[in-house]
Amino acid sequence: MLTGQELLDGIFIGSIYALFALGYTLVFGVLGIINLAHSAVFMLGAVFAYSLVALHGVEFWLAAPLAIAGAGLLGAFIEFAALRPLRRRNAPPIAALISTLGFAIACVGLIEQADGSGPLGWLWRDGANSVSFPAGTVPQTTYRLAGLTVPAPKLAILVISIVLWLALGRLVLRTQPGRAMRAVAENPRASALLGIDVDRVILLTVVGSSALAGLAGILFGVAIGDVSPYIGRDQIELRGLAVIVLGGMGNIPGTILGGYILGVIEVLALVLFGSGAHAGISFAILFLVLVVRPHGLLGTRAVERV
Amino acid sequence: MASPLLELSELRQYFGGVHALDGVSLSIETGQVFGLIGPNGAGKTTLVNVLTGHARGGSGLVRIAGTDVAGKPPHLVASAGVARTFQGVRLYHELSAIANIIAGMHRQRMHDIGRELFAPLGRVRRARTARHAQALGLLELVGLPDEVADRPAATLAYGQQRRVEIARALALQPRLLILDEPTAGMNPLEKREIGRLLSRLSEGGLTILLIEHDMPLVMSVCSRVAVLDFGRKIADGEPQAVARDQKVLDAYLGTETSCGSASEDDTTQAEGATSSTAAAITTGARPATSQTRPGRGLRASDLHVHYGAVHAVRSVSLAVDEGEIVTLIGANGAGKSTLLATLSGVLRPSSGAATFDGLDLTRAKPARIVAHGIAHVPEGRQILGRLTVRENLELGGYTRGGSRRLAADITRLEERFPILAERRSMPAMTLSGGEQQVLAIARALIARPRLLLLDEPSLGLAPILAESVFGLIAELHRSGLTILLVEQNAHRALSLAQRGYVVETGRIAFSGSAVELQANPEVERAYLGSDPRL
Amino acid sequence: MGFFIQLLTDPVGFYNAHELLVAQCGVNALLAISIWLTLYAGQLALATAGFMAVGAYTSVLLAIHQHTSLVAGTVSGCALAAVIAALIGLPVLRLRGVFLAIATIGFGEALRFGVILNWPLTGEGQGLTNLGANPTGGILPVWISVAALAYLGWRITRTRLGQAWAAIREDELAAAASAIDVRAHKLVAFVLSAVIAAYAGALDAHLNFFVDPTEYGFDRTVQVLVFAVLGGIGSVAGPIVGAVALTALPEAARWASDYRDVLYGAILMVVVVFRPQGLIARRRQTRRPDGLWPRLRSRLGLAATRAQ
Repeated sequence: MLTGQELLDGIFIGSIYALFALGYTLVFGVLGIINLAHSAVFMLGAVFAYSLVALHGVEFWLAAPLAIAGAGLLGAFIEFAALRPLRRRNAPPIAALISTLGFAIACVGLIEQADGSGPLGWLWRDGANSVSFPAGTVPQTTYRLAGLTVPAPKLAILVISIVLWLALGRLVLRTQPGRAMRAVAENPRASALLGIDVDRVILLTVVGSSALAGLAGILFGVAIGDVSPYIGRDQIELRGLAVIVLGGMGNIPGTILGGYILGVIEVLALVLFGSGAHAGISFAILFLVLVVRPHGLLGTRAVERV
Repeated sequence: MASPLLELSELRQYFGGVHALDGVSLSIETGQVFGLIGPNGAGKTTLVNVLTGHARGGSGLVRIAGTDVAGKPPHLVASAGVARTFQGVRLYHELSAIANIIAGMHRQRMHDIGRELFAPLGRVRRARTARHAQALGLLELVGLPDEVADRPAATLAYGQQRRVEIARALALQPRLLILDEPTAGMNPLEKREIGRLLSRLSEGGLTILLIEHDMPLVMSVCSRVAVLDFGRKIADGEPQAVARDQKVLDAYLGTETSCGSASEDDTTQAEGATSSTAAAITTGARPATSQTRPGRGLRASDLHVHYGAVHAVRSVSLAVDEGEIVTLIGANGAGKSTLLATLSGVLRPSSGAATFDGLDLTRAKPARIVAHGIAHVPEGRQILGRLTVRENLELGGYTRGGSRRLAADITRLEERFPILAERRSMPAMTLSGGEQQVLAIARALIARPRLLLLDEPSLGLAPILAESVFGLIAELHRSGLTILLVEQNAHRALSLAQRGYVVETGRIAFSGSAVELQANPEVERAYLGSDPRL
Repeated sequence: MGFFIQLLTDPVGFYNAHELLVAQCGVNALLAISIWLTLYAGQLALATAGFMAVGAYTSVLLAIHQHTSLVAGTVSGCALAAVIAALIGLPVLRLRGVFLAIATIGFGEALRFGVILNWPLTGEGQGLTNLGANPTGGILPVWISVAALAYLGWRITRTRLGQAWAAIREDELAAAASAIDVRAHKLVAFVLSAVIAAYAGALDAHLNFFVDPTEYGFDRTVQVLVFAVLGGIGSVAGPIVGAVALTALPEAARWASDYRDVLYGAILMVVVVFRPQGLIARRRQTRRPDGLWPRLRSRLGLAATRAQ
């Protein structure tokens, strides 16, 4: 079985998965689509923060919020360029999959070019394709709790994810804007008749979700120490899908729970099967959950009334 | 005597926490036209779903011509010769009308994919032409013109869509045809045509199971009627006898004089309490006077609205003065709902003007229009089912901001309509049809409107509930609210309203006072038909 | 624009210079047809790359270890793909819309990580070397296959089966009420699609000396999906056009060199906004007049059943 340390590591990485997947869940809940640009924003958040810290000497505590804001702005761009025009034309949901995918491909291609040579050559100096945040970006103090070593940054990640989960839950369930979001998620036309500005609700949802992606990217970069154009696509995208399926699509507590569970299961698989197969484990789980319980752990079975 | 074509015995179905069907048995003889009536939520559609295999997991016997089909998947039941239409039309929207009908011929077509793939093109084309002709024949049978054939089903008017669905069901060449509220949304003229169609089909040997709310239709066409209430059968026999059965009257039909005193909660919700409470809510208007105040109010002139490719509203001009209650009547697809949606700012006209008390409705955002005093209760109620009743009410006050007065208004509405307080924390989808209508109206009232746009408030409601809703509308008007009422039930709408407009294919065909319209022979022939209750 | 000029003025020379591209376009066209079949029946099944791998690895492994001919190897690959598709299809096709998509993605990735990358027989991360490959000889069979499948694809839309698929795509419940065995029809589409993907995989493997496991990931399936959707799923011509256009595009856009991906992504965004029904629209495609979201969303089953 797992040692306490390993379990803790699983929970920490799970927090990042949960934060990332929250963005998927929000957009899926309100818009009914999977936003494939989400992983690109994740990557760009990490890249913005890195460039601010490593290349411009900005303090992390300032760089992080700036990068998160930047990610939010990107979300606005995605909504205006890739999503809203499709809604205006009554395009089917698969069109949104493709336009957000296009955005993601373009982003990766663009950031790839930021190597030593070309005009964008400011990121990956010396032709490297992956960098890490400079040592000392965040304080590396560690605490000892119950015989376990808990590095402060990872603890911070855990705390942040829990706080965000609670805040988001409160927002969605108890405030008027939250109700408006749920109204738009269920029936945009009826919501418009009530005077809800459907476009604005959607814009805020996409911006918020992108900010979460940016945050998750920054935390990933700091915790795992890997910033590259490919971290969104290769590392996180499919794991995010596995999380929302596990937890229940569009269900916020389910997503959080799903994130932690996936994190722990991955560590377990790593311990049991070594680093080769453990990535495949998440997909096997994904598949099994869908076959056995498609609405996930906390989702409710949706029945279509004839 | 031959055994019955359809035998249902002790059907039980548990659904969403309730006994949707609680031991229902009935049998239908070959060649009968069998009517199934009852209040919303009584279990009629559930019964059909169980019969056709669309709902599984219950218990009981389902036998068609002696063969047991209980629990079988829908396509096997259909193969046994049972065709159906759906309560909410389920056509293949992107396919043309004729393609929909041809798709219904699946059972009759050659089963051999190999031959089909490699047969010479000439033979394939001939087979297609034959099918096409057959489908056109069915189109004609249900009273649709040929030109409708190639149009995508989604672009057809509602009444036309319903008829295409019937044609598609007939394409199966069934022994038993099940129709679930086929005439909902049709005007009396269309309903009479459907009635004649059903009689013709029955004479041709087809057995029909008809679920309907339209009593004259049921009386004229059915040879036998059963009544469901709360999942149980409460009457079963000849139509005349059933219509006089006291249990049926209490549960479903109501009477002219006793609407409101008849037992159930729903009806007392919509009636009863003093008009002063209502006045306290709708304080945007002057209470307790039937005087109208011309000059202020809604003005529309020469509106044209395009809805996709369809020119839905053509050169419509109308006026609703403050304190009036005006009705728009006409068939579904005539453009009434499109017009209302334009007045609330959800749709934009391609030309023309519309103002309400100084605000240009053709440019203002919906939120601004709501804040300015227009509330719209949309067709089909459109409540937010997954949110609680209370949350629905809170969202009704979305444009009002500030919380304390809002909370006070919600409390007052809960007093006026106790069902809203009772079910405060339940998801709105658990309310019955009549209760949902009350919720939709209450939600609109929270915005403190001066003008209330009501789109088909009685659609799909049992007669007794529809009556109580009309009673509520009258009460709201007495308390000073200006009302623009869109209704299929022209008879009832004109007895409630002061003035009316008759909308036909997007234009105003007739207008005038309610009395004038009721007396107009053309209006009477096309729209008034007979009294909805016997 | 030397690319297009040569294509038009010197087709033979063009062909000689771009043989591999032509072959690649053909393979992608086959893959696009494979995914089109399931899309036509209303299912978003994203396991194409997985089945492609089944066909590729099976035929190459048989060639290496059993010295089987290309034909026998391809047939075996297709047969294996059919069996696997039938097995996973039964439970998975119950799922709607995006759930089905994710389940099939999961299957594809699990296959890649679980089997391909971790089984010594398949060469693990190193892939397989296929000395019997024939890069240019395969072009003709590939394009003949494309032509044959295009014809069959066209024919099948006019058969009872094809029209049943169209009905299922539009509304499963109504289709069932018309005596259409929805489950069986969906399974047939899924299995046929898997067989075509495996076939394409086997041919593709035979065109290269090296079977590279990274070719068979989710990215590949997404690429194929884009071919089909951009081309238009109303008829079999759409995916073929989409595949050829988008495969050739990076070549044609050589001048953009390093920024090819950026251009590719931008083109996707633009085309899908301005022509969402794809390049080759169905004959009678009309814009839906009703902006009602719930009904739209339920069209492809995406978000029809959302858990809360």
